[in-house]
Amino acid sequence: MWVATVVGLALAGPAPVTAQDDDAGVTYDDILAGFADPTRWLTYSGDYSGQRHSPLTQITPANAHRLAPAWTFQTGFDTRGRGFETTPLVLDGVLYVTGSNNYAWAIDARSGRPFWQYRRQLPDDLTYGASAPVNRGFGILGDRLFMVTLDAHLLALDRATGSILWDVVLADYKVGYAATLAPLVLDGKVIVGISGGEYATRGFIDAYDPETGEQIWRFYTIPGPGEPGSETWPDDPLTLARGGSGTWMNGSYDPELDLIYWGTGNPNPDYNGDSRPGDNLYSNSIVALEAETGALRWHFQFTPHDLNDWDSNHVPVLVDLEWEGEERQVVMLANRNGFFYVLDRETGELLLGEPFTGTTWARELDAAGRPIILNDGSQGCLPDPWGSTNFYPPSFDPNLELFFVTARETCATFVKQEPEYVPGRQSTGGVIWIDQDQGWSALRALDPRSGELEWEFRYPSPTFAGVMSTASGLVFAGDHEGNFIAFESATGKDLWHYQTGSRIWGAGAMTFMLDGRQMVLIPSGSTLVAFALPLD
Amino acid sequence: MRHTLLSAVALLVLAAPTVAQQTANPYDSDPAAMRAGRALFANRCAECHGADARGFSGPDLTVLWAEGTSDERVFQTIRSGVSGSIMPSSTAPDNEIWAMVAYVKSISTVAAALDAPGDPERGQELVQARCTRCHYVAGGGGYLGPDLSRIGAVRTRESLMRSIREPAASIQPGYRTVTLVTPSGDRIRGVAKGEDAFSVQILDTRQQLRGYMKSDLAEVVREPVSLMPEFTSARLPDEDLNDIVRYLGTLRGNR
Repeated sequence: MWVATVVGLALAGPAPVTAQDDDAGVTYDDILAGFADPTRWLTYSGDYSGQRHSPLTQITPANAHRLAPAWTFQTGFDTRGRGFETTPLVLDGVLYVTGSNNYAWAIDARSGRPFWQYRRQLPDDLTYGASAPVNRGFGILGDRLFMVTLDAHLLALDRATGSILWDVVLADYKVGYAATLAPLVLDGKVIVGISGGEYATRGFIDAYDPETGEQIWRFYTIPGPGEPGSETWPDDPLTLARGGSGTWMNGSYDPELDLIYWGTGNPNPDYNGDSRPGDNLYSNSIVALEAETGALRWHFQFTPHDLNDWDSNHVPVLVDLEWEGEERQVVMLANRNGFFYVLDRETGELLLGEPFTGTTWARELDAAGRPIILNDGSQGCLPDPWGSTNFYPPSFDPNLELFFVTARETCATFVKQEPEYVPGRQSTGGVIWIDQDQGWSALRALDPRSGELEWEFRYPSPTFAGVMSTASGLVFAGDHEGNFIAFESATGKDLWHYQTGSRIWGAGAMTFMLDGRQMVLIPSGSTLVAFALPLD
Repeated sequence: MRHTLLSAVALLVLAAPTVAQQTANPYDSDPAAMRAGRALFANRCAECHGADARGFSGPDLTVLWAEGTSDERVFQTIRSGVSGSIMPSSTAPDNEIWAMVAYVKSISTVAAALDAPGDPERGQELVQARCTRCHYVAGGGGYLGPDLSRIGAVRTRESLMRSIREPAASIQPGYRTVTLVTPSGDRIRGVAKGEDAFSVQILDTRQQLRGYMKSDLAEVVREPVSLMPEFTSARLPDEDLNDIVRYLGTLRGNR
């Protein structure tokens, strides 16, 4: 009788809320399939392309106004000075979520209740090479989750329990290294980058064996003495060894070309280039690396000899589109320096570079793709060090052929100082005065063939929110005042908004199907909120 | 303003050889350093300690010196953080930390100018008659302008005089003038307390907190003036101004 009752309840009740025991785990082919399974989101941008464009269509411009919160998850703590920047992964109704200070959780996607919580015991003398104690998400393969840490380690966690399977050191955090990005998982490799460009560090991109944690290859973003690229630096090993150029944001991957695309950060010291005359390769660039070996196939430098901390750590967006009559495989990105770029992703050839903000620094590129600098700061204020956009994800709608990005319009004065080189201390070489009264921002839709503005929606302050779009013609974005907003992709009309109570900072939304309902999640402040259309 | 700061910071650069291992603040009372420190403070500290350093989620820093702390102790707290709290350690260069210390000290409680001219009792009468409709002062008053109960401890005599003669020269966030126009043409004036893409929050001139959705308004007009009248010398003779400022200097925290 008792058994029959329990079975009856089980049959009549909702679907089970635990992970499936017979699940063999995530394969490379699963990640490669991207959005093919609508119940899953298995890598930072949803698929390898970096488009953050979901094929889901249950929520539409016609019904988005009915979106309502399904649940709220609270981390229990705030992130000093920054945001909850993660993108959750989802598999079989379970969310895998990283938080600030290297907390992490497995959360029931139906109820918002946690299965387990992981907390890393971080050292007391963290150098915060990452600027802030944030984290942007897990990578997943098999039954393993991969997470980087503020003390510059890479961890493998057991998906069922959150227990540590292996723990390897990426670099010495005491010097100023740290790590915050979501690992990019390929076939038999976990790819990660490093933070620390404000310190006397040397950036790199690494590949690790998912089984053992053994390092497979490393690509340094600052060449060694005599290596290609070193001619763009002074002939001084010490300058190269502390050249900076962090790789602290996620890259994208083209499985056919077997190339990884990754952005690189500012040279060190940030604001004083006196000790580093030259272009300072491969800082402020995008690099295309062979996934198998980590060898450099091509690079393109956006901001040669950067003096404004305009890291190029953006999500590269891989798109195939018709370009002047022929099919091109391109990579596009909106850059912190104020320009929107389209490059051929097989060769690195520059196809387009046009300003997408009112930047006064430069308004055009020369034939070689170098900015023609009009204002070094002496002709009025420059975009601030946070840039015309930043690491927070953009999205691309391949049907409308529009690139959506949160664009910042700001005003800052850069003042050079003598850098102090002390291990574990920042050596930025300057101070910045940001005119708080002049900042604003907008969600912009750009035509990728011309860089022209199709529409914009303005926010009253410089916003740091990521973007996600869906095939139903929606763009989800947010603002610094805490609104999570749904827009019509074709027009920019705001259709719905929800005040989350804390600015949307660094995070983009993600979406998936659960029991026939399309869920949309956004991290904000100390919360992760799930939205869906009402059940009736 | 911005150019003033630029040249001021440039001076700081020139005056900053090496300051490591220093125990006295090399920038104490250095106006250039204090302005640079203000910019650094806004970026790194204001989130928790408030834009005015008077505390938000973190403690009020403007009372530290009055409580007997030293420049070096504040420096070390910034450098090392506070164990067991959210206050982190800092890896900023020494000269940046000293500049922030100089700035916070500069906006901290100031000594009473007891030898300043003016009659504080007459000043009190004038303030009660002319200021308390909008300003709260030691036991009563309005809220359209900043609370003055502690103003003597945080503002210099010169700065108070300037704010009375030219109130629009420097308006604190939260006291900026806004007029909301309704679809029927009604105009609602007040000070903006908050705003986002969809809404605006004000304290209206009847001193009522009121929130509006922008979709319900015809227009939101931001005005570059203060709601406080300009008390020119024709309107407020120097003698009266001296008396008022002398009285304000005695207001040091008893709300």
